[in-house]
Amino acid sequence: MEGSGTPEPTGVISSSADRMVGMEHSEVRYFTSYDHHGIHEEMLKDDVRTRSYRDSIYQNRHIFKDKVVLDVGCGTGILSMFAARAGAKHVIGVDMSSIIEKAKEIVAANGLTDKITLLQGKMEEVHLPFPKVDIIISEWMGYFLLYESMLDTVLYARDTYLNPGGLIFPDKATMYVAAIEDGEYKDDKIGFWDNVYGFDYSPMKEIALTEPLVDTVEMKALVTDPCPIITFDLNTVTAADLAFKVPYELTARRSDFIHALISWFDIEFSACHKPIHFSTGPHAKYTHWKQTVFYLRDVLTIEEGEKVSGWLENRPNDKNKRDLDINLSYKFETNDPTRFAEGGCSYRMC
Amino acid sequence: MASSSAAQPPVDDVPADLRSVSDDSDSGNEEGWEDVEPDDESQPVVGLFTEQVFPDVRSMIEDCKEKHNFDLLKIQKDLGLDFLDTIKLVNYVRSEVKAGNKTPDVSSKVKFADDAYMKPVLEDDALLYSLDDIAQDQDAEPASGNEAERKVIELQEDLERLQTQFSEYRLAVQKSLADQLNKEDEKLEPGAYVKRSPADKIGEADEDYFTSYSYNTIHESMLKDTIRTDAYRDFVYENKHVFKDKVVLDVGCGTGILSMFCAKAGAKKVISVDNSNIIDRAKEIVYDNGLGDVITCIRGKIEEVTLPVEKVDIIISEWMGYALLFEAMFDSVIYARDRYLAPDGLMVPSHATLRIAPYADPDFIASHISFWNNVYGFKMNSMKLNIYDEALVRSNQPTSIAGDSAVFLPLPLHTITVDELTFLKDFQVTLKEDIDALDGWAIWFDIFFMPSRDSTVPDNAVPSDMQKKGIVAFTTGPDGTETHWMQTICLIDHGKHQAKPLKKGQVINGKIGYEKKEKGSRLLDLAIEWQDENTKSGQHWSLQ
Repeated sequence: MEGSGTPEPTGVISSSADRMVGMEHSEVRYFTSYDHHGIHEEMLKDDVRTRSYRDSIYQNRHIFKDKVVLDVGCGTGILSMFAARAGAKHVIGVDMSSIIEKAKEIVAANGLTDKITLLQGKMEEVHLPFPKVDIIISEWMGYFLLYESMLDTVLYARDTYLNPGGLIFPDKATMYVAAIEDGEYKDDKIGFWDNVYGFDYSPMKEIALTEPLVDTVEMKALVTDPCPIITFDLNTVTAADLAFKVPYELTARRSDFIHALISWFDIEFSACHKPIHFSTGPHAKYTHWKQTVFYLRDVLTIEEGEKVSGWLENRPNDKNKRDLDINLSYKFETNDPTRFAEGGCSYRMC
Repeated sequence: MASSSAAQPPVDDVPADLRSVSDDSDSGNEEGWEDVEPDDESQPVVGLFTEQVFPDVRSMIEDCKEKHNFDLLKIQKDLGLDFLDTIKLVNYVRSEVKAGNKTPDVSSKVKFADDAYMKPVLEDDALLYSLDDIAQDQDAEPASGNEAERKVIELQEDLERLQTQFSEYRLAVQKSLADQLNKEDEKLEPGAYVKRSPADKIGEADEDYFTSYSYNTIHESMLKDTIRTDAYRDFVYENKHVFKDKVVLDVGCGTGILSMFCAKAGAKKVISVDNSNIIDRAKEIVYDNGLGDVITCIRGKIEEVTLPVEKVDIIISEWMGYALLFEAMFDSVIYARDRYLAPDGLMVPSHATLRIAPYADPDFIASHISFWNNVYGFKMNSMKLNIYDEALVRSNQPTSIAGDSAVFLPLPLHTITVDELTFLKDFQVTLKEDIDALDGWAIWFDIFFMPSRDSTVPDNAVPSDMQKKGIVAFTTGPDGTETHWMQTICLIDHGKHQAKPLKKGQVINGKIGYEKKEKGSRLLDLAIEWQDENTKSGQHWSLQ
């Protein structure tokens, strides 16, 4: 997500504000945090991300030529400039954040001012110089695909501005889950609270268990095959579809313990001449989205070929739409009554 | 009843003149009332018998007891009122008083049994929202010796019960009751959630649970900062004689770890103050560890809360921010010292020193500054501007420090004043190697724990040397193990101050200034001027 907020101070350079104690989660933070250049640096240096967008645009100059393009959440303007270089008639970049001032300077420094119009404001409020656009480009994805994502803004832009038959880059997103063995790290993140300098910190443990963790998961930690749970087609999806409840079923590839479920997403630019695709899964090259880890209260003891099934439910929090309430249920059916397990956990990303 | 709720002004709208009714509260209350934030738990409470606004429930209840012979807690106990009964009692008393009856009959539960008293008389009545806190405070009174453990277990059960009851009450008064229930039903659909632990339910019921949640990672990283936490632990545990039977104040207690160290070390009483939601977790943690009879957790600003004691023997606090003074929490610690510390009392830690050193790191500049010259074929030089406006907080290799550091401000915690925290100080450093360019300035601090207020620490004291003498001390500099404070780096804009090579042995004289962005601000402005024989330069940075 180039043009909005990130919950984690993962930038290589991070200003103190990114890690400040007492930092409040709020709209203000959402719209100002991306003003810090560290986040933009991190995203631009996310090679998988930036190259995928570049390739999908540069390899499809015939699609972009003489088209009007809208870049939703344009950030530093990199995607807008790709589109302009690819021959677009005009590109409109929209972003809430004051980063747009930097984007204007950058666009000018690259001699593209007459090709790119940059507007600061909410998509719902800005006035575009064209009534309709031919292509929407946007890097809207958040952690767990949907956390602090700008997808709803992209959908608004689609419904309001995209010509019939217009294209969206990217246009498909698929979410996956899998189960992992993660005893050591679970102990470090969750078990830590059992004994803090000799004290029992279990109230903090309860909170930690509700907090999905954005982190890099090693391929070898995977105990099961991945299971695709939902695909969003940006041409047709509606904002209401972003609250969902879907089943999953995971088959163990080896006998091991399961400490957590993880989730990631794949992104596809299917409107390209030659489709372009990237994954944020543990098997793929690192991206700044990493994976999202959901620790279970129980430890499951599973044998090769056995299955865990359940439901994943996601919906925006009633009070703060940018927060996600995520419920995971699991049922591990086995003939061995000592290993049978079922349960559910509630998480919140905020 | 139905029409009466609008007749009395809600707390937020009490006209200014009503506040002057206040006769027994100290002058701080009025400010406290003004400062209240929407999510602050210790919200002002309107008196039961007057329209006087109290800064918190406790003082209101005290006032009722003293001036109106109405002891809410005693009535609650005598009549065996549960949570919902108490809610009704409050609304009953408020409605009677409003009707002109200043001595409502509370001889029996029957008087206010009607469900009509479930409806709040005052909109957003902070008293109703604080009932569970009162109950906790009440029960938290020191239990006699062997009873303590049983008491803790009871308290936890009470807490769970009260939280459940409270959430039920909230639901009952919420207009969206039907919606809520529908959603609950959906979630409980067969097959989806067969088994749920009680903790899940509490988590859903308690809204504050989640507002504090954003702090979890921060508290985790601070507790896991072993340089920091070990130093406090070592000092407290190695100096148990200092803490034995003493009254200790922990300013900004967070999860309560320092308070618990002090309690374990034999403190008679520890008062732990924090203005964040984390205080609720601290309370639970303190009870879980059986220290509830020693440690009293109070939510609020230290400038506004009423402590149960006049003076304390020791103030312990982990107040240090980036570049030491970012966040200005130290101002509150100084306030606490001047207001509460006994004349011979001890500050823990007792001394801090601020250091500055020349910074030269060509690799860092290449990967993070020059990066913007060409990003996927585009020039993004303008992204570099911010880099020089804001100080960076990052961890540095000792090799990025091009000269010995200089102390620019020693802070003796027993005597330093708030005014001294805004300053312009001279410093001098000498380069220890040839450099192609002075890329910036690195700032960090050292902390010392002296066991007596008469002990002195030399201005240029080095933590590792002091440790050899048995003094607990630590550095946040690049030579030490990394702490969560890291170092503060002020990058020099080579566009304005041209980069030039400097030789080993080069002396650089400078001045460094700290200034709060504006009065009362948490943010910090840093200014540094420096000169070698030929050139004089200066630049400003903000830490925000």
